[in-house]
Amino acid sequence: MSKSSYDYPGYERSGSRYWAKTTILYGGITFGALLWSLPLWWMLSTALSGNPTGASVSFIPAEPTLANFEELFATEPVGRWFFNSIVFAGSVTAFNLVFDSLAGYALAKIEFVGREKLFLLFVATIMVPAMVTLIPVYVLLAELGWVNTYQGLIAPLIAQPIGIFLLRQHFMNLPSSLGDAAKIDGCNEFQTFYKVYLPLAKPALATLGIYTFVTTWKNFEWPLIIASDESMYTLPVALFAVRNQYFTEWGLVMAAAAVIVLPVIAVFLSAQKYFIRGMTLSGMKG
Amino acid sequence: MSTLDDSISSSIGRAASAVRNAVGRVTDRPTEENNFAGLLFVLPNVIVFTLFLLGPIVYALVLSFQEWNLFLGTGELTWVTLFGVRLPLGNYADILQPWPWENNWGALRSPSFNLWWFAVRNTALYTIVVVPTQIVGGFLVALALDSRIRGKKVFRTAFFVPVMLSAAASGVIWRWVLSKNGVVNEFLRPLGLAHDWANSPETALGALMLIGLWGGIGFNMILYLAGLQNIPDELYEAARIDGASGLQRIRHVTWPNLRNTHFFVTVLAIIGTFQVFGIALAFAEGGPARATTTVVVLIYETAFDQSSFGRATAMAFLLFAVVFVFSYYRYRIEQQDEVAY
Repeated sequence: MSKSSYDYPGYERSGSRYWAKTTILYGGITFGALLWSLPLWWMLSTALSGNPTGASVSFIPAEPTLANFEELFATEPVGRWFFNSIVFAGSVTAFNLVFDSLAGYALAKIEFVGREKLFLLFVATIMVPAMVTLIPVYVLLAELGWVNTYQGLIAPLIAQPIGIFLLRQHFMNLPSSLGDAAKIDGCNEFQTFYKVYLPLAKPALATLGIYTFVTTWKNFEWPLIIASDESMYTLPVALFAVRNQYFTEWGLVMAAAAVIVLPVIAVFLSAQKYFIRGMTLSGMKG
Repeated sequence: MSTLDDSISSSIGRAASAVRNAVGRVTDRPTEENNFAGLLFVLPNVIVFTLFLLGPIVYALVLSFQEWNLFLGTGELTWVTLFGVRLPLGNYADILQPWPWENNWGALRSPSFNLWWFAVRNTALYTIVVVPTQIVGGFLVALALDSRIRGKKVFRTAFFVPVMLSAAASGVIWRWVLSKNGVVNEFLRPLGLAHDWANSPETALGALMLIGLWGGIGFNMILYLAGLQNIPDELYEAARIDGASGLQRIRHVTWPNLRNTHFFVTVLAIIGTFQVFGIALAFAEGGPARATTTVVVLIYETAFDQSSFGRATAMAFLLFAVVFVFSYYRYRIEQQDEVAY
């Protein structure tokens, strides 16, 4: 945080003007935050209410019960969906970390023919709306027979330009003399990358990893298209399907929503710092 | 760590200038060994890019001129006769034709009703309302959280969590929150304003805007918080010495010094709202009475409900054209800025 316009000598911290300002500030931001949390709170209290039919839901359920969760888990393959989501987000993240760190390193530290052009090409593709490539990619995967498979779900997302960009920036800022020293000591290019530079890129890798994991976890568009069989749904697609199935049974639907939302909040709370960095970078995604 | 902070305010334009810097810095000639190693390192990415990005873009262009149905198979060119000339633009021409469609919402009952333009209208309205509101909202929240306030983490979490939710979750949760028996009506009923917000064509698009705002403000807040930290304290001190009040400092120091952030946030928001899809689908599936059918919802329906891949791809290219114009415009302005510095 910068020092902000409050940190200067002689700043008044008393008097009616100060208190008026402070009240407005806290009042406004608290009101906003409550408003912003309301939908999630309502989701949770509905999910925990026994028989939620509109007016019967209260802000704090009188008799909180896990009945909705129990019924959901008993009637739907939630475990399978959870597993699919983990496999999907986990593999996409792992592939991106490996491929993007290789490419990012090469584009930053190896002088090879055409690397600037290649980098510009990678970056330029960030602007293409997903819908343009989605249909041809679907056709391609349908030809390969990869619809409703893990490889179909994962393959199109395993190398994303945002990661190349982030890691290249990071490697550029590490001194080249490190690599020169390693090479004099007899390291080849891969050893230099793996033993010298990669360990120094840990913060950037953490940021990219968390960012990729969460954006893949919440990805709705691609799994919706490629996973048409219930057993291949990820959680967001499953939620969409469940909603249509139990149209008015909001207790069940909100329990399903909570199953997706709560892990994300847990991840966020444990890795806030990296996550916000990564999110800011998605500015690149366009 | 400074690398990351640098990256935070970076953009495509900066990437381009980074490349130019790199070109200037490199003095060594590429050696054969380096060529081999370099290409080997980028090979996985090049393969994935060719297969899933560059190839598909080219293929999409071909598809957009053809009658292509997933089940009926590869297609023929679609033709249109224009001023006596036969052109292979059938899909593009069809999109602009009236769409045969029955509805019970009086406002749409017209023989010349065109669903494409209606989707464009919905998307444009959504963009016009959501973009400025979420920018101003994000700025105000960032400003509040940049001040001497306690519990920053709690507030930041409250505003940021919606950003991380899947569009499916946001859409479904809001469907319930805004439903006839939902919590919003609990508050509005005493005022006599209860309404079935999600199921009325008149209010569904407005409700969708609310969801967009809910999910967007936290993202802009983070960008503005990053931008605020780059304003030198000396500027505030100078303004204070000149006797500027708090509001004057915001207006004359904070706001103008965030020029780059404003620009970045605006273009991102516009490009994002053009492509709004997931929340619209999960919230109301494009309905009621098409009120929340956005351009991408229409593309999705055309491709995956009607299996008209050629036509859907033509729509996607029309969208691409608009996004490209915005991106190019942004790139040009950034170029001019660099000259100005």
